[in-house]
Amino acid sequence: MADGLITLTIDGTPVSVPPGTLVIEAAKQAGVLVPHYCYHPGLPVAGVCRMCLVEIEKAPKLAIACATTVTEGMVVKTQTAPAKDARRGVLEFLLINHPLDCPICDQAGECELQDFVFQEGQSGTRYAEFAKRFNPVEDFGPDVLYVPNRCILCTRCVRYMEDVAQEPVLNVSERGDRAFIGIHPDARLDHPWAGNVVDLCPVGSLLSKDFLHKARAWELDKTASICTGCSQGCSITLDTRDEVVVRVRPRPNLDVNRYFICDHGRSHYRWMNRGDRIEAPLVKKDGALHATDWDEAFARVLSILRGASGKAVALVSPGASNEALAAAKQLLAGFQWTGAFQVVMGEEAPLPGVPNLALRAERAPNAKGAENLGYTRDYAQALEAATGAAVVLVLDDPDCSVETNGALIYLGTVLGADAPCRRADVVLPIANVAEEEGAFTNRDGREQRYFQAKPAPGMAQPAAWVLEQMVKAMGTARVA
Amino acid sequence: MSTPRDATAVGRGGTAHGTGHGGDYQPVFVGKVLEELETVLQRYPNKQAALLPTLWIAQREHGWISDRSMAEVAELLGLTPAYVKGVVTFYTMYHQHPVGKNFVQVCTTSPCNVCGAEGVVKAFLEHTGAGDAGATSPDGKWTIIEVECLGACGFPTPVLVNDDFLENVTPEKVPELVRKYR
Amino acid sequence: MGFPHKPHAKETVVLSQYFGDADARTLKGWTKRGGYAALAQALKMDPAQVTEVVKESGLRGRGGAGFPTGLKWSFMPKEKKKAHYLCVNADESEPGTFKDREIMRWTPHGLLEGTAIAAHAIRAEVAYIYIRGEFTEPWTIMTRALEEANAAGVFGSIKVYLHRGAGAYICGEETALMNSIEGKRGNPRIKPPFPAAAGLFGLPTTINNVETLAAVPHILNRGAAWYKGLCLSNPKSTGTKLFSVCGNVQRAGNYEVTMGFPLKGLIYDMCGGPPAGRTLKACIPGGSSVPILTREETEACLLDYEGVVEKGSMLGSGGVIVFDDSADMVYQIMRLARFYAHESCAQCTQCREGTAWTTKIMERILAGQGKTKDLDLLLDLSENMTGKTICVLSDSCAAPIVSGIKKFRGEFEAYLAGKRQPVMVG
Repeated sequence: MADGLITLTIDGTPVSVPPGTLVIEAAKQAGVLVPHYCYHPGLPVAGVCRMCLVEIEKAPKLAIACATTVTEGMVVKTQTAPAKDARRGVLEFLLINHPLDCPICDQAGECELQDFVFQEGQSGTRYAEFAKRFNPVEDFGPDVLYVPNRCILCTRCVRYMEDVAQEPVLNVSERGDRAFIGIHPDARLDHPWAGNVVDLCPVGSLLSKDFLHKARAWELDKTASICTGCSQGCSITLDTRDEVVVRVRPRPNLDVNRYFICDHGRSHYRWMNRGDRIEAPLVKKDGALHATDWDEAFARVLSILRGASGKAVALVSPGASNEALAAAKQLLAGFQWTGAFQVVMGEEAPLPGVPNLALRAERAPNAKGAENLGYTRDYAQALEAATGAAVVLVLDDPDCSVETNGALIYLGTVLGADAPCRRADVVLPIANVAEEEGAFTNRDGREQRYFQAKPAPGMAQPAAWVLEQMVKAMGTARVA
Repeated sequence: MSTPRDATAVGRGGTAHGTGHGGDYQPVFVGKVLEELETVLQRYPNKQAALLPTLWIAQREHGWISDRSMAEVAELLGLTPAYVKGVVTFYTMYHQHPVGKNFVQVCTTSPCNVCGAEGVVKAFLEHTGAGDAGATSPDGKWTIIEVECLGACGFPTPVLVNDDFLENVTPEKVPELVRKYR
Repeated sequence: MGFPHKPHAKETVVLSQYFGDADARTLKGWTKRGGYAALAQALKMDPAQVTEVVKESGLRGRGGAGFPTGLKWSFMPKEKKKAHYLCVNADESEPGTFKDREIMRWTPHGLLEGTAIAAHAIRAEVAYIYIRGEFTEPWTIMTRALEEANAAGVFGSIKVYLHRGAGAYICGEETALMNSIEGKRGNPRIKPPFPAAAGLFGLPTTINNVETLAAVPHILNRGAAWYKGLCLSNPKSTGTKLFSVCGNVQRAGNYEVTMGFPLKGLIYDMCGGPPAGRTLKACIPGGSSVPILTREETEACLLDYEGVVEKGSMLGSGGVIVFDDSADMVYQIMRLARFYAHESCAQCTQCREGTAWTTKIMERILAGQGKTKDLDLLLDLSENMTGKTICVLSDSCAAPIVSGIKKFRGEFEAYLAGKRQPVMVG
């Protein structure tokens, strides 16, 4: 036991782990996934599903890997006949009352019951002569449906609400094979972080109404991204089908959001699919905006910038990427510069069971990044300054109601027919967060990258690219 | 133990789910009963541990434990109603619906079974008119259920009528018992 | 005492001496009969000393596990850093067992005395006596006795409380019992941690059965050597045991005999055997969770922990369920499976689903729709239900199934062949 670690052997592979590590976690290091349901690294151990039974040399009985701590020299075998038989037995018991819902069940394709039955279960049932237990579907609250027939009583949802959300609004009701997940009739599953129970559910028992029957798991492309709902910067996965974002799920990040995202972030994706986008660069000719190509649009911007001097004001979105914000500042390097943003605020909603995790009051992902680059929150003052500025640059702020005597350059994803920025001299179409790669800095100063999940519409390009092209063309040295 | 039970509450139907008090809910824990709760709380280091005895009191006062009562208990003990409901539904002696004036539990597990326990159940059902075991008789006076081992296997068949633990009950003794409790 | 019958000459009357004697229930009556002298003595002894005496006596847990009591007490932390708890398991729900009930009904102060001595030995400030909800009479009697004892201040600083269960066999499992006291569903806990390390409210706890604690004052009064000397067979099983005999016997009741007593003698001599004209067919010696014995095995069996193991079963709670040739083994095994299915807490997959599935197969066999492969299926399910769960309820469901099919296969096959139908008893 050199360097304080414990060495043990799992399926013939030696691993060294810190004392107190569970066998199921140590197994991951050995490249062994021990089948399990009720165990989850983000929840207290329950040890009820009995799926993770493994053989441990010198132990009189099979042990559950999720509740067994490693000891020096322990020899764990997951593939011996007794262990596999025991696990096959568990799967058989789980399937006797589990309906053959795969063809209509949302979980199909990402279902842990399917996965382990395929891997270790038996192909036929011995329960043929009996009726399966039946209970009607229940509506638990704003987004969650409970299908009792599919429930395997792993109790992840109950433990999550009790221990992580710290609002025990779910229970196990009744006893024996009559048991089901219950909720008091006066209660609803409306905790701001309740949606995670749908992800936690290993089967299709807890379902998202938003995602119900929307897409099949195997049709989805999954892209790593960062949530734009607030300044917490949770790691998420954007699930797209045919280039439409259909679902947002948490991505494990032990330093920020562990395994969870809040319901606001979870439901905050429809805007990424908006159809009313600016699809081509627009330049003002004879008092009206006309579609053109990038070359002409860039040429117009450069001529504006080279022909102007004095003050420049940048009004930016706290949802723009660090790259875009930096390039926007660089582009206006030759001017007396004011940069500002405004953030929509909302109520903070913490997840008590995870340190430093909450739906933050600041409902934007990159206010900190903007601040780091010199943008301020003095938006009102910036609006004032813009009136007399030579150049005003608006970045991804569609409701911006700036009035200026100078030139107005607008970069955005949308521009409403009555939007104030319709009077812009140049309108440059940009990609939204799902259509580009970039980085946000969260409220704790952590810079995190997000990646492109779908193509931008029309001729839209990432704002960073657009601005950097113009910077290059200006010949300005890059700001450090 | 005399319990104020509304015998007419049974047989009205419509109390399967929901608060079921049909009208004003009278809180359980007021006055003397609240004092009693205070004594109970002294016995445990935290309020959650007082849950089972508190539920017994609620059932004693109302005859059963409704969702509304669960919410009342939850508030008193700093728990959620869902949590309390999870506990209530685990323990079979807590009634989640109103029961007849006489709640009869007959043990039919094997040691009593071989001594004729099922005959005792049948006799009760016949003489009270309660129909299927678990149903309440039309006059609302009897609910008969089969239960598991009552811990009196040497005195077959043990029968609980409300809180009266009767022993050596045979089918022949049932008519007299029914008369006595009616 | 063979209670409720007259005491049998072959009984060794210790715990049951005052069964049926209403005066012994009162504090005055109990004290008059020598009660609370042991407690007074124990309170003057060092706790570790008390534990030593109990260890020396060879007393083993009478709830079913048979774990050496003194050894269990010694698992409590040597250094007293936190509060300690004692839980008294009066949840008696094992089918066939009805002894703790009598101890509480007739010698409530004896139980209280044993509780207080144990609490002192393990340095517990508080003791909870967990009484099953259906025991309304023992509850009333224990309440009254506790009031008397408190009024007389016999417990010193130890607090003793009664806690009422609400209908769950599984709360007799020691960790489920603790959860129930904590105001939770009666779910057994995974071990480790063990109760002596982290039990009730997360603090060091010992759980003892009623009969075990009832023996403690006697051991203190008469000495460990005396108790150890009460042994008819294996020296590892000492003292007396109350055997609750029930089922098809003429004189059902609680009989107190010395460990190692022959089961044959208990059934025939003391209980008069099966009713006239019937013969012994089977016996479950330790409450329904242990394997069934055939007549031959029963008549050769000695009643101590090792002796019953030797015959392929276990002493368990000492609930002796006797079946004569009129009993339908298939029906009774179904009824036991149904019991376990009803009582399963629902945590472990094998128990939750397996007890119900087992019951359904048994019901179908009894309905005349069984198939030969059903027996192999039952045995396979039982194998999957044994040794793989948090507690042994599912193992307990498997025990009558496996032993029943093995030893009474003919009765099963009669149903499978359509040659038999169930007939209601009585």
